[in-house]
Amino acid sequence: MVQSLSLTNFINPEPHTDSMNHTYDSLKNLHSSVLRWLLLPLLLLALPAWGVAQTTPIDGMKDNTPNVHAFTNATIVTAPGETVRNATLVIRNGVVEAVGRRVTPPADARVWDMEGKTIYPGFIDPYTDLGMNDPRVELDRGNVSWNPNLRAHLKAEQEFDNENDGSDDLRKQGFTAALTLPPLGIFKGEAAVMSLKDGLSADRVVQSGVAQGATFSRFREFGFTYPTSAIGVIAFIRQTLYDADWYERAHQAYMNDRSLERPESNAPLAALRNAANGEQPLLFETGSDEEILRVRRLANEFNITPWILGNGHEYKLLDVLRDGGMPLILPLNFADKPDVDTPENALGEDLADLRHWYLSPENPGRVADAGIQFSLTTKGLDNKSSFLPNLRKAIKLGLNKETALAALTTNPANLLGISSTHGSIESGKSASFIIADGDLFEDGSKIIDLWVDGDHYRINHENAMNPRGVWEIASNDGSIDGTLKIEENRPGRLSGTMTISGSEVDLASVSYEDLPRRIRAHFAGSEAGFEGPVRLTASLDGDNLRGWAEVSGRERVQFSATRTSTLPAAENGDSSKELNRDVQLADLRPAMEYGRESIPEQPQNVFVRNATIWTMGAQGIMENADMIVSNGEIVEVGQNLRAPRNAVIIDAEGKHVTPGLIDAHLHSGVDGVNEVGNAITAEVRMGDVLNINNIWMYRQLAGGLTTAHVMHGSANPIGGQNVHVKMRWGALSDDLMIEDAPRTVKFALGENPKRVGSDRYPETRMGTEQIIEDRFRMARDYEARWNEWNETGQGIPPRKDLRLDALLDILNGEILIMSHSYRQDEILMLMRLAERFDFKIHAFHHGVEAYKVAPELAEHGAGAVVWSDWSSFKIEAYDGTLYNARLLKEAGVLTSLHSDNSQIASRMNWEAAKMVRAGMDPEDALSLVTSDTAKILGIEDSVGSLESGKDADFVIWNGDPLSTLTKAEQTWIDGRKYFDLDEDADLQRAVERERDQLIRLIVEE
Amino acid sequence: MNPRTDMINRLNIKTYETMKNLLLTCTLFAFVMIAVPQADAQTPAPKQSEPIALVGGTIHTLAGDVIENGTILFEDGKITAIGSNVNIPSGTRQQNVSGKHIYPGLIDSYSQMGITEIGAVNMTSDVNEQGIINPNVLAERAFHPASRHIPIARSAGILTVITTPGGGLISGQSSAMKTDGWAWDEMTLKSSTGLIVNWPFPSRSDYEDNIQTLRDAFADARSYMKARQAMRSGQAQRHDTDSRWEAMIPVFEGNVPVVVSANEVRQIQDAITWAEEEGVRLIILGGSDAHLVTDHLRSKNIPVIITSVQTSSNRDWESYDARYSLPAKLHEAGVTFAIAGGSSAAYAHRLPYEAGTAAAFGLDADTALRSLTTYPAAILGLDDYVGTLEVGKDASLLITTGNPIEYSTQIEQVYVQGRESDMMDAHRQFYELYREKLDQRNAER
Repeated sequence: MVQSLSLTNFINPEPHTDSMNHTYDSLKNLHSSVLRWLLLPLLLLALPAWGVAQTTPIDGMKDNTPNVHAFTNATIVTAPGETVRNATLVIRNGVVEAVGRRVTPPADARVWDMEGKTIYPGFIDPYTDLGMNDPRVELDRGNVSWNPNLRAHLKAEQEFDNENDGSDDLRKQGFTAALTLPPLGIFKGEAAVMSLKDGLSADRVVQSGVAQGATFSRFREFGFTYPTSAIGVIAFIRQTLYDADWYERAHQAYMNDRSLERPESNAPLAALRNAANGEQPLLFETGSDEEILRVRRLANEFNITPWILGNGHEYKLLDVLRDGGMPLILPLNFADKPDVDTPENALGEDLADLRHWYLSPENPGRVADAGIQFSLTTKGLDNKSSFLPNLRKAIKLGLNKETALAALTTNPANLLGISSTHGSIESGKSASFIIADGDLFEDGSKIIDLWVDGDHYRINHENAMNPRGVWEIASNDGSIDGTLKIEENRPGRLSGTMTISGSEVDLASVSYEDLPRRIRAHFAGSEAGFEGPVRLTASLDGDNLRGWAEVSGRERVQFSATRTSTLPAAENGDSSKELNRDVQLADLRPAMEYGRESIPEQPQNVFVRNATIWTMGAQGIMENADMIVSNGEIVEVGQNLRAPRNAVIIDAEGKHVTPGLIDAHLHSGVDGVNEVGNAITAEVRMGDVLNINNIWMYRQLAGGLTTAHVMHGSANPIGGQNVHVKMRWGALSDDLMIEDAPRTVKFALGENPKRVGSDRYPETRMGTEQIIEDRFRMARDYEARWNEWNETGQGIPPRKDLRLDALLDILNGEILIMSHSYRQDEILMLMRLAERFDFKIHAFHHGVEAYKVAPELAEHGAGAVVWSDWSSFKIEAYDGTLYNARLLKEAGVLTSLHSDNSQIASRMNWEAAKMVRAGMDPEDALSLVTSDTAKILGIEDSVGSLESGKDADFVIWNGDPLSTLTKAEQTWIDGRKYFDLDEDADLQRAVERERDQLIRLIVEE
Repeated sequence: MNPRTDMINRLNIKTYETMKNLLLTCTLFAFVMIAVPQADAQTPAPKQSEPIALVGGTIHTLAGDVIENGTILFEDGKITAIGSNVNIPSGTRQQNVSGKHIYPGLIDSYSQMGITEIGAVNMTSDVNEQGIINPNVLAERAFHPASRHIPIARSAGILTVITTPGGGLISGQSSAMKTDGWAWDEMTLKSSTGLIVNWPFPSRSDYEDNIQTLRDAFADARSYMKARQAMRSGQAQRHDTDSRWEAMIPVFEGNVPVVVSANEVRQIQDAITWAEEEGVRLIILGGSDAHLVTDHLRSKNIPVIITSVQTSSNRDWESYDARYSLPAKLHEAGVTFAIAGGSSAAYAHRLPYEAGTAAAFGLDADTALRSLTTYPAAILGLDDYVGTLEVGKDASLLITTGNPIEYSTQIEQVYVQGRESDMMDAHRQFYELYREKLDQRNAER
């Protein structure tokens, strides 16, 4: 059937409403598409004509088909856990009138015999982009925000386009209502529950303003508009939530005193008010386990009511989600099968992906088993038709059927505030339900019909008759008298034989169409004494056939046939395939290779005996020394100490012990490092985007690294705020940060910040200086404005600006500047600039030419964080020298080494060792990656040396830590052993074993 | 002082006092600003003019036992005697090196030394020629003897670098270069140490197309060789010269090995299969996955030049030390190998530590040192000159405080074919220059 776009909903015969039968019947006789177009406006208006709650006038004939139906002899699951057998359901005008065993069909009802059928409440999808096929990208009219990501004022029901809206695909999976929300932007707009019946958008709104949509994603559509990064998005969310609050107060002030400067009008901010103060849920779309934690951290910071659209990785966070407080919507987006087609490809598949492939179908069951309530969604499925198969797979892997039904009915109904009309089959609720031919949660069952608000949709046709059996044929000329046998091998697949005068011929094809009750078959006649093919066509009427045959070389033959016996229907084959679940996978954090089942134990006492201990403190390097650790802290280092009671004793004879190594400049373990959407981004925070799914953390531990300063990138003259982390492999990202570490911010000078984009200021070192200075002045002006307000309370309240707040904290010395730099001129420039503002630059990083201004650095009091020997990879790095750190130290500059590289961070002792070649004393060299690094990072009170009261972060080496022949044997943090060379060998074997088992499973599948 | 030279002096450029016209001055100013902010080329050493005997040191010849309290004598750049009891001819300059160690000079068997200066400044790079089939380009012809990186490598004990072109499918030919001398001709130890082939990437859809292109190039070169032979023997008409295919004849004659850059296991095995069919001598360059196919490598006697040890696997599941321990795994399996630097000219001085890391992870220290000396010399056909300290070989050697692969070791003096090299380099020079600034400031205070 030709479907002209606008007419699809009306002329597609499959899912049509009974009430539309007249429309449909009259239409299907129209063959002229021109005529259809002429009729279009009439049809649009005719559709809702039977309703009583509509304003649309009627054109043409009024449709008064009764909308009263009774479904009898049904098994009705009225709600999760409540099943009534032999029951009757009565619906009237889209509403359930009665349901139960003793219900009698009303006299005016059309009665549907539901013998053998099961009726379920219609499913509710709490997260879709229904009707959002072609969303508005540009909001270029009216009082919108400067930022296209802020579109909180959009309302789903007003953006809704009911053309090809996607309802059809959802209905086929049993859904009768769905939450939909505009897809674009970080604040997307308000979500609405829409009925999945066809018709005008206006008739389909079940509930509007249900939640405000939010996401951590960026949108290609918006180009390089801020924010361009994960850090920027979170900063933007923060700022916008503050702005929504400010906006309301600013307008209140203006309402009270019209003589004030009029605040801007901003519809999105006004619309965000309820979400910003927690009255309206903020529904976050998440893409990873880390993003769920990010929602939780935002919820701790702001008074918001978070809902979470999950991502399939929730089984990794059961301990977190069990705390509750964040309603959860789970997708069934099971991982794609990893590519292990060839042994070489298999080498490229990491264990994290292999595990996730195996475990993701268990996700819903595991979340349920943890006692966490959730709803299910089709979101995340490339093809909605995989929803029911995936649901059944989840059920096979442990999800309870009743829980599954609740996750599709009562849970979303309660969540979305539509439980008075949806979620169960009860008198007075919407007549939205599923009719299935069996247990919907088992393979092989089908949805036959779906009723949405009383509208009827046929999903899978169920044959009224079937041609299976043995038929005796009698023909008018006797030429094809014989026996026809028709069987069904697989559901819907027919085959058979024809026996004529003793010779049996296989039928080449057999087909049956149920609605016209027509059967066709053909066979090669040559095997039965005919010249060519014989083709039969007949009408089926119970056990009788009436038809005719086209016989090659002869006249047409008419025949009749009678069924002498029947044959059974084919068994459904889907369920025969059992899932192989032989692999036992421990719960790991991070859920990847070398992940841990729990963080390591912290023994009450640890005693390290007989080692060469590099204390990196006043005690220097001690031979034959002992160290006592209690409750994660160092108690004492010295000779001939006595081991505390019950201490874990480590005999370290011949070994060296150093403080855990510290990297002053690292970029691993975070989701992105640069926010390039503005030259000044002091508001973004690296701590917001830590990601534990990072193999480098383990590798760095293996190299003795225990602490790192994880930094923003170098795209901005003033970049984002950095974070101090410990390499607590096995902990949540929430637990990596060093809490009392000072706040630091990344600045960047020289080539990098001036070559971002073609039209972003600055493009010269001159401009770099000016924009920094300009923003500092702006921050001072901002401070003055706040001071005035705080004193007088007069005027429009100032807006809280997180960027300027951070700049002010910089000027006031509360945030320390760590500035990326190469050339001496830019280093000098920034120091002089800071001096004009009366504060200090804390440290210059990279500082390839720092040695050239070593006296100036010392005088200013700035530290230097440099490479051992990097140079010449670009022109500003050409004058790099191995002696940089040495000369800086000779000039009295507090100096550290850094990696700026995940791999180098895993061997920082060797970076220090290069300084010995440059003529430094070994202890001084090691201080560049331990004690002096801690001082530059402002964390020397807790780490960097092995002294009483400090954190028990230490490394046991099999020799001199500055020797090329040495490697780390154990790495301890907080008195817990996070790396052990022997355990590593075991872990490696475990990784190999798991990979092998999982790859085998995939290959066998 | 005229204004022009005044300007130049203010910019610390000391050598252009006789500049004749302003135009030229400006042009040079622009160039010099980029390339040489300070005069940093060290003076190449004169050729050895008298016999030299290093007396009393511990001599690690790598060709036999370590000689304690030994003497090494060399003349005209060649070693003439080594031992604990060497007759020192009259007129020999004697240097007491007791307490010191003497080692053969180190070889960086994969480098871009002399053909690249500053990574991000394209004009300082002569590594990648246009097009994908460039067998005729020769690294030594573009070797920039004044590169700042050469003395840096030399003072770290790297006396031979294999300067290697890159890019395309057939990149060109590498050359073994000495790290002391005035110009590329005298600095060339050996031309054409290998024809460089970049094995295509198997994960790309054009993998087979690229292999076909490579096979075609070799077939075309062979047919060229055949046609030229026929022409020369008068059996056929004239065939014009094809520079590309002409350059590949030594490969077919077995005089130049094919060095194939291959890291993934598929690349390595497919390159072996290809080289067998072509009948050419193969060296694998890179070889990250070589440990997976050691039997294949050993059975075909194919050596591997490992290009980086201080690095990590790009597969999360592989051990943190997968690459650190690769040399030990190859050694254990009997595969011939050398350890090279990571190619960037500026970091040749890190080469000893690449081998050191291998030593920390399973390789014995002696073998680690050999992977920088005897092994690459043998693999690249340099063993007539370098790799060991033996009579008749080049006097290219190091006087050190210990094993060069150890961080604490100081390289005190090097000789390159008997030249007593300047041990100053840009790293050290910057230190001394700005130490002077610091001293001045301290004095002013």
